[in-house]
Amino acid sequence: MAASLSSMTTLSAPRPVRLLNISNPYSSPSHVRLLPCTTSRYTRLVVRSTPSEIANKVSESIKNAEETCADDPKAGECVAAWDEVEELSAAASHARDKNKGKDPLEEYCKDNPETDECRTYED
Amino acid sequence: MAICTVHTTPSLSMPNTHLNQRQVIFFTSARKNQFFRGQNRAFTVSCSADAKTVVIGLAADSGCGKSTFMRRLTSVFGGAAEPPKGGNPDSNTLISDTTTVICLDDYHSLDRTGRKEKGVTALDPKANDFDLMYEQVKALKEGKAVDKPIYNHVTGLLDPPEVIQPPKILVIEGLHPMFDERVRDLLDFSIYLDISNEVKFAWKIQRDMAERGHSLESIKASIEARKPDFDAFIDPQKKYADAVIEVLPTQLIPGDNEGKVLRVRLIQKEGLKHFSPVYLFDEGSTISWIPCGRKLTCSYPGIKFTYGPETYFSNEVSVLEMDGQFDRLDELIYVESHLSNLSSKFYGEVTQQMLKHSDFPGSNNGTGLFQTIIGLKIRDLYEQIVAERAAATAQAAKV
Repeated sequence: MAASLSSMTTLSAPRPVRLLNISNPYSSPSHVRLLPCTTSRYTRLVVRSTPSEIANKVSESIKNAEETCADDPKAGECVAAWDEVEELSAAASHARDKNKGKDPLEEYCKDNPETDECRTYED
Repeated sequence: MAICTVHTTPSLSMPNTHLNQRQVIFFTSARKNQFFRGQNRAFTVSCSADAKTVVIGLAADSGCGKSTFMRRLTSVFGGAAEPPKGGNPDSNTLISDTTTVICLDDYHSLDRTGRKEKGVTALDPKANDFDLMYEQVKALKEGKAVDKPIYNHVTGLLDPPEVIQPPKILVIEGLHPMFDERVRDLLDFSIYLDISNEVKFAWKIQRDMAERGHSLESIKASIEARKPDFDAFIDPQKKYADAVIEVLPTQLIPGDNEGKVLRVRLIQKEGLKHFSPVYLFDEGSTISWIPCGRKLTCSYPGIKFTYGPETYFSNEVSVLEMDGQFDRLDELIYVESHLSNLSSKFYGEVTQQMLKHSDFPGSNNGTGLFQTIIGLKIRDLYEQIVAERAAATAQAAKV
């Protein structure tokens, strides 16, 4: 009973391609666009994007800096505004790097090492 | 392993200056200890902490945190460095078994709004609390825990402090580790990453072009705006550094402006107590070496090494320079086998460390190579200091 329950959860949890038998028509890129809801189970879309919160902050700060500097490029406010842009860009880049390595299966297995899909065997 | 010495105290009631250190006092009664014949004797056991902390300073522009150098450095010492568990998720601190990395942005006295009002950048010393920095680094060096503030890079605010326990090796990373003279004197070793303007521009383009809102002009404007403050406050620190890693555009490809192939110079100060510079073939002579030839085949543009003594801001230095890129494993091991004084524990350790982190930027050129070598040098420096302190304490105990 318990085994079948865990196998049910396996199918709905996002799984990387390596664990499944790959020969399905949905893995080609053109189908990815047409059927977004089903493809997430079979292909892993790797998107290297900044978390939206920080990305918004970066674009806002750039606009702000450009406005402030329109009057006087040498003023302290202008310099401070561009420094803020630099700081936020660095934070955005760090956030991207942090998310880049995140594998959903590894994250799940860190907290639940005893589940079926997380068991490791060493011969 | 702590080294403890036992000595008798004349009397517990007498004011004793030694009692403000961490000490355990054993009070024996006369009956139990007949040796003292009715007299009450008190013994104090004072233990020195597991070798007081070794402090390393790293100066690098723009932002701290999970930078590549720190990851390589902590990897040399063993163990992965992670943010403190259960604390503020935006903490800039990294902790591993032996090392703690502190980001000096945490000592900003003005948060982002404060700096905007005053019109100062984070590079300006006015935005940083050097007194607090000095106090806390001194306390950690002496083996006391501190409550260090947290500067949140995302919100730009100063968050409530976190407790930092004194580690074996403390690395302070940021814009101003060598700016304040008192902090400079606390450092056992200091490193400065000097990136030339062209390379900095190329790297920032790579980093920011994917960012919505950024354009070539905005990246350029940002670098230009920060340049005066950078040249006035950050750049002068390089004359105090014990090792400078200078990154320049390559000379092997004429007219290259992509910044992919780099010329990296490792400038090492001579005459330091626990640091012996890396050299090529013959220490103190001038060498120019192209490893690619009959024994080793390299692809374009190849690799070129030079080594020689120089003067850097009126200090005697030895400069090891690498221009070009590694393509294959055997190039790396070939180069490593010809370098001397690497302080590696076994043949191929540098190559092994580089391979371990082959996904890090700079793993195929001099930046990764020299960062790894400096990591080994710091490990060697740490072991020398610990051995020295152990010998000194043993000597004191004998006397």
